[in-house]
Amino acid sequence: MRVDAYLIPVVDGVAYGLLLAIAAAGLTVAFGAGGVLNLAHGTLIAAGGYIAAATSSGTWPSLAAAVALAAIAGAAGGGVLAAATAGLRGRGHLDQALLTFGVALIGGDLLTTVYGPDTLRPRLPATLEGTVEAAGHRYPVDRLAVLVIAVLVVAAGYVVLHRTRAGRLIRATVDDRAMVAGIGVNPRLVDAAVLMCAGALAGLAGALSTPILGVGPGTADTALLLSLIIVVCGGLGSVPGALAAALAVGVVQTLGVTSFPQLAPYLLVGAMTVVLLVRRRSLPGQAAA
Amino acid sequence: MAHPIPRVRRGLAATAAAGLLLAGAACSSGAADTTTVRVGLLVSLSGTYATVGEDMQRGFKLYLDTHGGKLGGRKVDLIVGDEGDGPATAVPAAQKLLERDRVVALTGLVGGATVDKVQTLTTEKKIPLVGANARPAFTPVGGKPRDLAYTWHTSYNSDEPGIAIAEYVKAQVGDGEVYAIGPDYQGGYDELRGFTDTFTRLGGKLANPDGKTTFTPFPSTENFLPYLNKAAETKPKAVYTFYAGAAAVAFVKQYAQSDLRDVPLYAAGFLTEGSVLTAQGPAATGIRNVLNYSPTLPNPTNQEFVAAWSAAGHTGQPTTFAMASYDAAAVLDRALAAVDGEVTGEKLNTAIGQVGRIVSPRGDWQFHPIERRPVQRWYLREVKADGPVLSNVLVQDLTTLPTT
Amino acid sequence: MSRQAGRGVAEALTTWHRSGSTWVALGVAAAAVGVVALSADAYLHATAARMLPLALLAVSVAVVTGHAGLPTLGQVAPYAAGAYTTARLALAGVEQAAVHLLTAAVAGAVLAGLLGVVLIRYRGTVFLMLSLGVAELTAITAAQWRQVSGGTDGLAGIPAVRLAPGLPPLVADRAVLLYAAAVALCATVGAVILLGGERRMLLSAVRGNEARARASGHRVTAYLWAVHTGAGAIAGIGGALLIHTHRWITPADVGFATAALALLAVVIGGAASLPGAAAGAIAVLAVRDVIAVWLPGHAPLLLGALFVAAVYLLPGGLTALSARLRPPTPSRRPNHVAHASGSPARPTARSTP
Repeated sequence: MRVDAYLIPVVDGVAYGLLLAIAAAGLTVAFGAGGVLNLAHGTLIAAGGYIAAATSSGTWPSLAAAVALAAIAGAAGGGVLAAATAGLRGRGHLDQALLTFGVALIGGDLLTTVYGPDTLRPRLPATLEGTVEAAGHRYPVDRLAVLVIAVLVVAAGYVVLHRTRAGRLIRATVDDRAMVAGIGVNPRLVDAAVLMCAGALAGLAGALSTPILGVGPGTADTALLLSLIIVVCGGLGSVPGALAAALAVGVVQTLGVTSFPQLAPYLLVGAMTVVLLVRRRSLPGQAAA
Repeated sequence: MAHPIPRVRRGLAATAAAGLLLAGAACSSGAADTTTVRVGLLVSLSGTYATVGEDMQRGFKLYLDTHGGKLGGRKVDLIVGDEGDGPATAVPAAQKLLERDRVVALTGLVGGATVDKVQTLTTEKKIPLVGANARPAFTPVGGKPRDLAYTWHTSYNSDEPGIAIAEYVKAQVGDGEVYAIGPDYQGGYDELRGFTDTFTRLGGKLANPDGKTTFTPFPSTENFLPYLNKAAETKPKAVYTFYAGAAAVAFVKQYAQSDLRDVPLYAAGFLTEGSVLTAQGPAATGIRNVLNYSPTLPNPTNQEFVAAWSAAGHTGQPTTFAMASYDAAAVLDRALAAVDGEVTGEKLNTAIGQVGRIVSPRGDWQFHPIERRPVQRWYLREVKADGPVLSNVLVQDLTTLPTT
Repeated sequence: MSRQAGRGVAEALTTWHRSGSTWVALGVAAAAVGVVALSADAYLHATAARMLPLALLAVSVAVVTGHAGLPTLGQVAPYAAGAYTTARLALAGVEQAAVHLLTAAVAGAVLAGLLGVVLIRYRGTVFLMLSLGVAELTAITAAQWRQVSGGTDGLAGIPAVRLAPGLPPLVADRAVLLYAAAVALCATVGAVILLGGERRMLLSAVRGNEARARASGHRVTAYLWAVHTGAGAIAGIGGALLIHTHRWITPADVGFATAALALLAVVIGGAASLPGAAAGAIAVLAVRDVIAVWLPGHAPLLLGALFVAAVYLLPGGLTALSARLRPPTPSRRPNHVAHASGSPARPTARSTP
């Protein structure tokens, strides 16, 4: 096979991976800093997608409004989850899992009741609906746009996390809650803020993915499963780890499935299992033996 | 949490669970009279195929509403159950319809796997199952063929769309090769096998590298672009596919963005049927596909059906799912009219076997005496603007199946 | 030393109380089945019987989650092994219940034993995610291995089981219920006995402080592997019951959704309690399959409401309910014991980061 045959799948894998990175970043930060195993994360992503699909009507302003509304709704959802999980601190992650899974089921039911069981797609401005020619292959403009926005969001996330006081507080909370409390910051406030930011990222990820993947009753489950795989493979609470894992998942899901079609159903879960088996000692989320 | 616990209270959990069950039992009901019949409609109201389920429910209710709420002169008490995503939720719901509500017939059923499991229940209870969507292969169990005496369908076998269109596609591509791609589950195998077997028997060749259909993981595949660009490398003269629901939307959208976009796309009609077509938008234009129904069929029954559909306030045009469910009501209407006195599953089943010709929006059809599914016309359709909306516009008749 | 002795005494007392009350719970469960079986409603019988395979799977998950301290989604693998083995035996003309149950238990134990060799070295979230991988791979394998599983549509019309050669097949709903309840009760009783006494204390010690247990010369890995393998046998029997009560199977029945329901049922029941886990599973299925029938299309809403309500109204699960209703009797029970045996009952998916 020629080299350029790999070009499009790799670009596509990176675009998909960055999208997944935005989706998973919120989950990993919520776990690392907020200590919340949020199984309703996929539902927040789906909610963002539905809101974006319902808002965008083919004009640029409506598209901007769609993205903003999705992020705001995600943040609100994160706030609800922060309030719901605040009372569960110290009761272990299985109780949180039970609660957030319950919230996810309720949220999913409400979303399909409001938006119907169909798969929805937003109408985009005509410029974004076309394709561009590169190295003899076509590539959709909407994916390129998502790629660019995803790079910007990831870069902005990095700057916020490493160059601002808020970001330092979040990272400090991941490392040592007691120390953060010791310097006079209520870690619960950080928790709530982190869950809201995570929700906003989830909403944003939903809005960005609808033009490509659509949003429907299955979106929440798929998004949650992929995010969980990324978060655990990347190391719980680690944003750079999640980014790397997301890109890997993106490439596996594009280049991998077409290169090894017989193994396609096993590829993703198999890759996760291998990564976990190999990386057992370097994961921060692992219990001391 | 580890306090020593009094023994009696520890049993609370088990008692509570038993209580729940008994509470369910208390709501039992089941008076039988000859002027009212209970019919069970089991369709997906939640899960992946809720759209199809909703369409089927609308189709059945449309028939009832346009016939005074009566079937065969009897008032109908329609009891709806949720099939969910498959047998795990569907079988309990079916059991409730059969044993608690004591329905005289069960209709609907979206998924092939569900039909496969529910069929054994209805057969045991001697209640006719008038399925209006998937009809699976009913693989023999332990070498013994399945008892299908109580299993009817107003739809088709999953391999029939492919069989019906293969000859047409062969004529279009001449000596060119066709790339076949579909979802990796039973429905996908059946749909694609119908096409590839018939197509290769007519002398056609598949463009797929190993001469076998490419199957994509289902339902996890959302991104078809890598598969489509890979397919483009084989330089096919045409592509044949089957997808439904969310995957159909993603496939069609991405097909139009891929290296394949100038290659003609042929499909089993589900690819562009119903609400998915709205979501696909202009990307679906020009797709030629095969189904047993088109909303643009010129017969008067169809025109009435389409008009009634719009009058009922449903958006969009009726689908094959709604039409087949509408026909299931029509079958029950005629069969119930032929039953004297109290309706039992056995009497009703015999009557269904004798309903004869059904006047239907798809064109008249009748049950195949052995296969217990329609002998019907298949149509070639093309996605085109029909007034302000996209529609699967009738192009030509293809063939009548099953042939014997 | 005296502290350890004190702990030992208190543990023994707790164990006595706990296992005593477990027997009562099992007795009540048997009585409940009797009441259901006495009613004339075949629908009730079929519905109750259909809940028992998942209840047994939940018991198996509770053994691994509550006693070994490893929250798992992977017990669907031995469950699937038991189910498909049973289905294949029945389709091949072998219809005796004893053969089915034994083969299924062995198949489940062998598979869980093999998986355990790898899995048992991990803890917490990594174990949970690896077990998620196992659940996904189980369903994918079941869908792909068409010669055995019948593909994605699965198998239907599997012949009914016979209690002994010559006896008629078990098809009547009441007979199936009584049979399935007897098997489920026996398996649960067996698990309770095997996990009682000294073994309970050993596992409690392993959960409470694994490093100390190792330092005291306990072969922790071997204990955990044995528990995981034994739980596999229970799951395998649950799989056999799935075939005996349903007489059909699809890959979705042995996938992530089933695994998640079983684990959540265990959390609702109160992690370490085996009857609690079974009751949790029955509560989940009662909501999904019995109550939700009256609100078609909204089973997820009701199930979600059940989970949320369980978290807020039943902290510690169903089995902790009665403990909280009762005034505390602290005199005999030093506080650290409550912690030692209490915290593992709510295993955390994450340790200190």
